[in-house]
Amino acid sequence: MNVALLDPRGRVTLRAFLAALAVITAGSLVLQLLRDVLPAPVMALLYLLLVVLSAALGGLSAGLLAAVLAFLALNYFFTEPYYQLYVHDTNNVFVLLVFLAVAGIIGALVGQAREARARAEAREREVTFLYELATALAGLRQPDTMRHVVAAHLQELLQAELVEVSGLGGAARAPEAAAAPARRADALAPLVTAQGLIGEIRVWRGGLAPPPDEERLLRAFAGEAASAFERARLAGAERHAAVLEESDRLKTALLNSVSHELRTPLATIKAAATSLSSGAVGWNTAARGDLLAAIEEEVDLLNRLVGNLLNMSRIEAGVLQPQRQWNVLGEIVEGTLHRMRRGLEYHPVTVDVPEDLPLVPVDAVLLEQVFANLIGNSTKYAPPGTTIRVTARARDAQTLLVEVSNAGPPVAPEHLEHIFEKFYRVTAAERITGTGLGLSICKGIVEAHGGQIWAENTPGGLAFRFTLPLQSGDHSPLHVPPEDESA
Amino acid sequence: MSAEPHVLVIDDEPQILRALRTILTEKHFRVSMAQRGEQGLALAAADPPDVIVLDLGLPDLDGIQVCARLREWTHVPIIVLSVRESESDKVAALDHGADDYLTKPFGIEELLARIRVALRHSAMAQGTRATVINAGPMSIDLTRHVVTRDGVEVKLTATEYKLLAYLAANAGRVLTHQSILTHVWGPADADHVEYLRVYVGQLRKKVEADSRHPEILLSEPGIGYRFVAGE
Repeated sequence: MNVALLDPRGRVTLRAFLAALAVITAGSLVLQLLRDVLPAPVMALLYLLLVVLSAALGGLSAGLLAAVLAFLALNYFFTEPYYQLYVHDTNNVFVLLVFLAVAGIIGALVGQAREARARAEAREREVTFLYELATALAGLRQPDTMRHVVAAHLQELLQAELVEVSGLGGAARAPEAAAAPARRADALAPLVTAQGLIGEIRVWRGGLAPPPDEERLLRAFAGEAASAFERARLAGAERHAAVLEESDRLKTALLNSVSHELRTPLATIKAAATSLSSGAVGWNTAARGDLLAAIEEEVDLLNRLVGNLLNMSRIEAGVLQPQRQWNVLGEIVEGTLHRMRRGLEYHPVTVDVPEDLPLVPVDAVLLEQVFANLIGNSTKYAPPGTTIRVTARARDAQTLLVEVSNAGPPVAPEHLEHIFEKFYRVTAAERITGTGLGLSICKGIVEAHGGQIWAENTPGGLAFRFTLPLQSGDHSPLHVPPEDESA
Repeated sequence: MSAEPHVLVIDDEPQILRALRTILTEKHFRVSMAQRGEQGLALAAADPPDVIVLDLGLPDLDGIQVCARLREWTHVPIIVLSVRESESDKVAALDHGADDYLTKPFGIEELLARIRVALRHSAMAQGTRATVINAGPMSIDLTRHVVTRDGVEVKLTATEYKLLAYLAANAGRVLTHQSILTHVWGPADADHVEYLRVYVGQLRKKVEADSRHPEILLSEPGIGYRFVAGE
C-alpha cells in the first residue's frame, strides 16, 4: 500500500480494504455458526451479498478484494474437504470459479457505481465551494479583503495547514495568525489574468503533495480569484478615470472663473498705480484719493478671493475642520463688518442680534467668511443704497437661525436650490464679478458646523438663511455663576 | 532707546523686505533684515533691536521656534506676520512669547501703529512698570485695585477686576484665550472660553462707551483679546 491510500478524502483508502476484510471475516464467522442449518448454495449467495456490501462501503478496490476473500472463504469453510483450499470435486471447482467471476463482476460494478457517486458528490461540493467563493468575492473591490476571502475559503475547503494568497500588492494568510512555514509550499497555483501573472496561491498541507482532484480544485479557485482581482482592478481604474475627469472639469471651470476674477482687480490696480506714478494725477487731488482707495479695495477683494479658494480646496479635499469655540455671534458679525467696511459704502447694514443670544460653538474665522460671502453677495446684486440686514434668533434650545437679507431681485424658484452649487450663476458671468464659489463655500462651512443653509425670496428681496447647532457634541456652555461687585 | 528705533525684520520674501525697508526708513527707523531664522537670531544677538517683525513661514526654522529661542534671552517685543488661515500658528507663536500679530496682507499704517505700541510696551517694561493704565475715559490703578471712568469708580466683581487688570497690565499685547483663562481662572479652566466670553461681555458693558463696538477690549477672532491703552 502506498502513502496515497492515506488520503483522507480519496477513494482508494486503507479503510476500504479494512472494510472488505472486516465484512468478509465477520460474515464468515456468522455463517460458520449457521453451516448446519443452511445448504452450501445459500452460503454462496450470502457471500455474494457480503461482496456487494463491501463494494458499497469501500468502492471498486474493496469490492474486488472482497470477491477474492469471499472466494477463498467459501472454498476454505464450506467446500469439501473443509478447512483446506484443496477442492476434490471438479464440479465444485467449477462452481467456485463461477462464484469468483460473479462476485468479481458484482463487486466491480457496485464499487464503480459507488465511486461514480462519490466523484459526483465531490464535484458538486467543488461547484458549491466555487459558487460560494464567487458570491463572497462579488461586490468586493478592496484587494486586501479579496485576498483574505480567497485564503479563508480555500483553507476551509482543503482543511490545509496554511493558505497564502499574494497579488495586487499584498498577501493574505489563512489562518491569519499563522506564520509561514520555513519549508516550501506543497501546492502552488498561479493567478493569471489578461495582464499576465498577477499573484499566486500557496498551500501548505503537512508536507504532502495534493491528490489530482485537489490540485484541480486549487486551479479552479485560482481562476476564480484571478478574474475577481481583474474585475476589481478594472473597476478601480474606471472609478479613478471618472474622478480625474470630474476634477479636470472642476479645474477648468475654476481656472476660467479665477483668471477672469484675478485679472479684473489686477487691471484696476495696474491702471491706478501707473497713473499715480506717471505724474498725470496731481498731489492732493480727489482723483489721487480715488485711485488709492481703488487699489486698496481691489487688494482686499483679491485677498478674500484667495481665502475663498483656499477654503474651497479644503472643503473639496474634505479637510475643513472647524476649530469650534464658544463665541458671541454679534461679535463675529461686527468683526466681519469692520473688516469689510470699505466695500460697504453703498449698502448700509443693520444688525439685529440680541445680546442675550446663547453662545454658539463655531469657528469664528470660518463663520466670518460665511458672513463676508453672504454680505458680499448681497452688495453685488442689491441696488446701491438699499439696506442689508443681519438677524439671528434662537429657533429652539438646540438651534440658532441666522438670516442675511437684501433688497436684491428675486431669484427664480428653479435656481434657488442650485445657487449654493459651485460655479452656479443665475446671471451671465460677465455682468457680475465673483468666482461663483462664495455661496458654495458658505454651504461647505455651515455644513461642516452641522447646520443647513438655503435661500428664500422675501417680499422685499432675497434672504439667505442658515442654522447652527447651539450645542457642541452634547455640551452646552458651562454655566458661569454670577458674582457680587465687591472690588 | 536711541533716536532712531531699531527694527529687525525677519521674512523670506524679498518684496516684503524691500517694501518694509523703504517705508520704515522713511519713517525714521533703523532697519536690519534677515531672510532666514538662524540669520535673524544671529543678528538679534549681534545688534539687539528694539522690536522684531517676524514672518512665521521661514525656509529654515519655524517662526514659533524663533520666538521660543529669542525668549530664552531677550524680552524684545516680537510682532509676527502670518496669513489669515493659520490661527493655530499665531496662537502657538503668541504662547511662545510673541507680543502681537498682523495678518498678511496688512496696511502699513497698521504695522506702524503696532510697532509704536510695542516700543511703548518695551519702554514701560524697561523702566518702572506703569501702575495706572489709561484707556479712553477709563483709568485702572493696578496698585490700589481701583477702576474709574471719568473719575467715577466703576464697581467690578472680583473676577472682572482680575481679568481687566491682567489685560490692562499687558496693554497692546495680544493675549491668547488660554493664557488669559490660565492666569485669571487657573490651569484647570484653560479651555473654558465660555467664561471669557461672559466676563468680557460684562466688562465691556462697564468700560466701553458702546459695548457692541468695543474700542478698549478688542477680540481677535479664534485667538484671544487685546487691551488698547490710550495715549
